[in-house]
Amino acid sequence: MGGIPLVKAIVVKNMVKWYGKEVLALNKISFEVDEGDFFVVIGPSGCGKSTLMKILAGILDYDSGELYIKSQNMKDVPPHKRDLSLMLETYAVFPHMNVFYNIAFGLRMMGKDKEYIKRKVKEALELVEMSGFENRSPLELSGGQRQRVALARSLVIEPSVLLLDEPISHVDYMLQRKLMEDFKIIHKKLGITFILTTHMQEHALTLADRMAVMNTGVIEQIGTPDEVYRTPKTVFAARFVGDINLVPGEVVSKEEKRYIVKTDVGEFSSLSLNGDDLVGKKLAYAIRPEFIKVDNDAKACENKLKGKLVRYYFFGNYVECVFAKGKVEVKAAVPAEQAIKLRLDKEYLIGWLSGDSMLIEKPSVIEGLNIEEVIYGK
Amino acid sequence: MAKYTNYLMLLPGLILCVFFLIIPTAIILRIGFSESVSTAEFEIHGLTIENYVKFFTAPQTLNILVNTFGTALLACLICFIVGYPFAYFLTFHVENEKLKAYVLSLLMVPFLIDWSIRTIAWIPVLGDKGIVNSALISLGIIENPLNLLFSRTGLHIIWLQTYVLFMEFPIYLALSRIDPELIQAAKVLKAPPHRVFYEIIFKLSLPGVICGWIFVFVSTLGDYLTPGLWAGGLQTLGLSISAYFGKNVWPYACALSTIMVVIALVALYILLKIVDIKKLIYES
Repeated sequence: MGGIPLVKAIVVKNMVKWYGKEVLALNKISFEVDEGDFFVVIGPSGCGKSTLMKILAGILDYDSGELYIKSQNMKDVPPHKRDLSLMLETYAVFPHMNVFYNIAFGLRMMGKDKEYIKRKVKEALELVEMSGFENRSPLELSGGQRQRVALARSLVIEPSVLLLDEPISHVDYMLQRKLMEDFKIIHKKLGITFILTTHMQEHALTLADRMAVMNTGVIEQIGTPDEVYRTPKTVFAARFVGDINLVPGEVVSKEEKRYIVKTDVGEFSSLSLNGDDLVGKKLAYAIRPEFIKVDNDAKACENKLKGKLVRYYFFGNYVECVFAKGKVEVKAAVPAEQAIKLRLDKEYLIGWLSGDSMLIEKPSVIEGLNIEEVIYGK
Repeated sequence: MAKYTNYLMLLPGLILCVFFLIIPTAIILRIGFSESVSTAEFEIHGLTIENYVKFFTAPQTLNILVNTFGTALLACLICFIVGYPFAYFLTFHVENEKLKAYVLSLLMVPFLIDWSIRTIAWIPVLGDKGIVNSALISLGIIENPLNLLFSRTGLHIIWLQTYVLFMEFPIYLALSRIDPELIQAAKVLKAPPHRVFYEIIFKLSLPGVICGWIFVFVSTLGDYLTPGLWAGGLQTLGLSISAYFGKNVWPYACALSTIMVVIALVALYILLKIVDIKKLIYES
């Protein structure tokens, strides 16, 4: 950190993109990606992730805003002159070329000589563990193999930024785990900037150095996975990263360093971390399931609630138990050995520490949303 | 049992093929090798190869062959040069689906008009005192009217109007089936616009192009009316065949028909061989 001026790999400022006059795909998006980072954009389908990636790659125009790649303004720079590569969500493997020519495509377009291309394609195939597939037609490949070809094809041109649009979600679960490992290894090996989009939180939390949570055209929060997980800025971000219990409430008082929040199911306390005065504000009281304690363990907690066990989901090492009081449901991640003793439809005491709870002021960075509607749905 | 019923489904098609394709072709083939046919009783006399010998030793044969296949191929080329950019524009630069359908159906209009009317309608356009010649003369570009109507130029203009649709449609279909993401992927993979066009768009549209060439080739080869009327004495195989049939010389006409079909098939075979789609696409 000795004052070396860092060149940002990507800088996006106030990016706006309309589809026609009706659909606002990107609504003044701004973010920066450091060189060499693994940056993950997470959001539900239709939130504008793919649009953003295509704009970065230059295959889609934007309406206003600025885009810099390595401090260079990308306005009017065509895609083939940008120092990046994009692996599309559909892989877009050329059906009329065999695996070798698919991977060689970029190098051929760059005018590299034949020997060089041969060597590079071989290396790329080794990297994605597809050696020996050179002469196969893409039509003979499985989805996972096609994706590997697409990845090799993107990597072989040695971009300094690699964009990966939903590269993991469309394969089966076991392969997803393997791919996540592969991406991490390849990223480390090459040392280039990766930007990956996904709609699955475990990918984002596992892979990202930094991540952005997107929601219908806006970025809800940018930060390390840890930051976003521990201090979500909006209800949307909190929900999209990890599981969370949310209940709307109003801050009624501040006692020493804790706020008292009045909710439909009782008054709960939470620590005040920063100096803001939240008294009188309507907000969301939030707690992650793993911090909820059940039965005897709950007795020592500051916040307690009696709820009926209405459902449970077995996850192997823990059981997600859902306790209900009124219309409020609280999920708790209960260790398997303790969960065995619980019975359905019985009332249990559940509790949590004030320090584990969070107060989330905004439902979303999108203005004009009602916090209760966001939490309970309309 | 299920197996037999499966084959049963072929039966209607098979009957049609046998009665309307195989038997007539066999008859033509047979008559081509006969000495004479009495058309009244339909009796075929003799077995000889003289008809073929006569054709291949005739002095004008080479000329006729070149005329026939040369004009057909040239018509293909003209339709392709006009049709491809049009199909390309329609696919990639017209976003309104309704407009696309409208434009494509406009191409069919010539087929809705009777052949003779459609043909005569060209006189006021291409004739000596037609629109084109009058315009060129009044602009001072030419002094005497160009012989547009009864010439090869006229033939190709009329063929273009009639058959460009056969080139246009398959190419349009092939182009519109190209996944836009393939084009986007090529752009990201460093391909400048002209190479995106050649490597991705053109190559993926080749099946449509070849289809179009075959359609136009076969149609113009079989069309003897248009060249007979407009091409100003251009001798083609089709015209010879119709002339000999008209003079009731069936054996020679049938021999010519056989020759034409064989050469057309060979030409198609060569066309598909030269343009080995797989080779052209995989290795460049």
